[in-house]
Amino acid sequence: MSVGTDVIEPRPAVPAVEGGRTRRRWLNWLFVIPAILFQFFWGWYPMVIAIFLSLTNAPIRGAVTFRGIENYVRLASDPLVPMAFRVTLIYGILSIILTFIIPIITAILLMEMPPKTMRVMMILWFLPLSGIASTLFWQYLYNEKFGIFQYIATAVLGLPPQAFLSSERLVLFWLIVPGIIMYGPGLYYIAGLQGIPKSYYEAAEVEGAGFWRKIWTISLPRLRPIISMTLLFSIIGSLQEFTFPDLMTRGGPNGASRTVVMYMFTLLNNGRIGDSTALAVMLFALIMVFVLVFRLVFKSDPDV
Amino acid sequence: MSLFPTVGRKQLGVRISWWLVVAFLAFGVFMHLVPFYIMITTSIKPATEAMAMPPTLWPKQPTFAAWGLVLKLSDIAKSVLSQPLSKYFLNSMIMTFGTMILSIPVTSLAAYAVSKLIKGRAAKNLFIFFIGTLMLPGIVSLIPSFLLTRNFPFPLPVAPNIPGTDVAFPTLRIWNTYWAVIIPAGFSAGNFLLFKGYFDGIPDSIINAARVDGGSEFNIFRRIILPMSIPVYAVVAYFTFGATWDSYLWPLVVIQDSAIAPLTLAIRRISDAFGAAGTTNPLTAVGASAGISELVSQGLSWNGLMVLGLLQAIPTFIFFIIAREYLLKGVKIQGLK
Repeated sequence: MSVGTDVIEPRPAVPAVEGGRTRRRWLNWLFVIPAILFQFFWGWYPMVIAIFLSLTNAPIRGAVTFRGIENYVRLASDPLVPMAFRVTLIYGILSIILTFIIPIITAILLMEMPPKTMRVMMILWFLPLSGIASTLFWQYLYNEKFGIFQYIATAVLGLPPQAFLSSERLVLFWLIVPGIIMYGPGLYYIAGLQGIPKSYYEAAEVEGAGFWRKIWTISLPRLRPIISMTLLFSIIGSLQEFTFPDLMTRGGPNGASRTVVMYMFTLLNNGRIGDSTALAVMLFALIMVFVLVFRLVFKSDPDV
Repeated sequence: MSLFPTVGRKQLGVRISWWLVVAFLAFGVFMHLVPFYIMITTSIKPATEAMAMPPTLWPKQPTFAAWGLVLKLSDIAKSVLSQPLSKYFLNSMIMTFGTMILSIPVTSLAAYAVSKLIKGRAAKNLFIFFIGTLMLPGIVSLIPSFLLTRNFPFPLPVAPNIPGTDVAFPTLRIWNTYWAVIIPAGFSAGNFLLFKGYFDGIPDSIINAARVDGGSEFNIFRRIILPMSIPVYAVVAYFTFGATWDSYLWPLVVIQDSAIAPLTLAIRRISDAFGAAGTTNPLTAVGASAGISELVSQGLSWNGLMVLGLLQAIPTFIFFIIAREYLLKGVKIQGLK
């Protein structure tokens, strides 16, 4: 409607409260129905079905028959399964211990910078390097013959040549190192910290609170819901790791970096659909144990 | 500037710790820029220099040979890549934009309804229904989802027969098409959380005022809420782009035909071929295909892989430049409650 030819149309009368409400309420569901369908068919449905599928033979051809816990029994006698779980646990726990806290500290310290410096630092920090590109980069750095890490180890530090990703003992550690040295602030933490009123800190200072005291009694408690959420996602995510170790080492050397999800993928590629699903259900159970422990620890929220 | 005391900033101890903080932050930023520097400089090194020990800081003879070779990689080494690189780039683009076009409206409309339109117990239950999957390990649905792309709606390798006949139930098959990547991503629980956090921050009074003026709920959303919510849309678009562009495991499972494979899978193939040729790591050399030997003799080694990495990184980079202003304005997340 352009301004010049505007004709004043009679506005539709506001519907009577009762009728209007019900009409609206019905139409509101149109907003959510597509999402409900997607979330049902590609979210909940396959998740629940996995448990049933893991109890069948799930052959590539022919009829599906119920086999009870046969798949689980077969997996239990497969020596590669406990090995994959061991790798997953070490990788997951080590990466959370070594990489979870640093972004929180960095975000808190970044808030101390003058606004302009902070903006520049943030933009530089959040410059994204695609995940696949970064695996190529790290492979290059870890190269045993002409990688920069080998150069640092032999020429700078004077150590004997290191095996890096070919070392069965240390490969998991080396896979986590990039996460430690590429430290930076988390976007969610900065967003959370920006929501804290300055007056809180000023009041604390009047009361005589110092640097650490302010972090401990203001910043961290206010970040608590966000930290609890990101920690939950890191636990779930790091125990389901696939892309980075797969591209970096393909599970080698001798399966020393083969996570459960990588082994699932191998089973799937060999046409063992039932076994692969059963392995997924086992990993699901393991992660749920961690999630439940986490919920018990983080249950009492003093702010609520 | 709230942690350091406002009074007594000139004291030596305070000043030293201030500069320590600056040094810590500056070092982190510096480290973050190193990969870009190394990838770019390596990509313009000749093959031998890319494998020189000690590594050179700046190429002695900068050359764009690796860029040229990578771009016509499929002509030289047909056995490694059956399609030109631009085709994989296009495949990734189709999947990524397809996902964005489907998932962003579906997710944001649902988040708006749960935040503002539906009240009471229904809203609470819907919220749990929508974000519940986020708190469970999603890997368990990998294989059923894969089977669903083959025989929707049966998550089975083969669709069952209609009872009493030998005819299988008709099924929908999206496996090995672009749709297999796009449709399962139609709703994103993580983005739902971002949208809902943002919509929760919009005062109800604005919507109520619009209701008094008349107009359907959808028009209120389109005319009033949408223009106010550009930051969150920018952030979600950026996240969705980055996630889909980089997706790896799912395309590995559902895309078999290399003519529709995304760039990530093409890079995996190339990197494997180089590894097998011993170019990247002499210890894993198991024998090179003819095409790869040809590429290597023309001067492609790690410099080529860095070119590939940069090609993969550039689109996300551009999206970041567009979305950067909105990053902080769009994230108003308050945890899972």
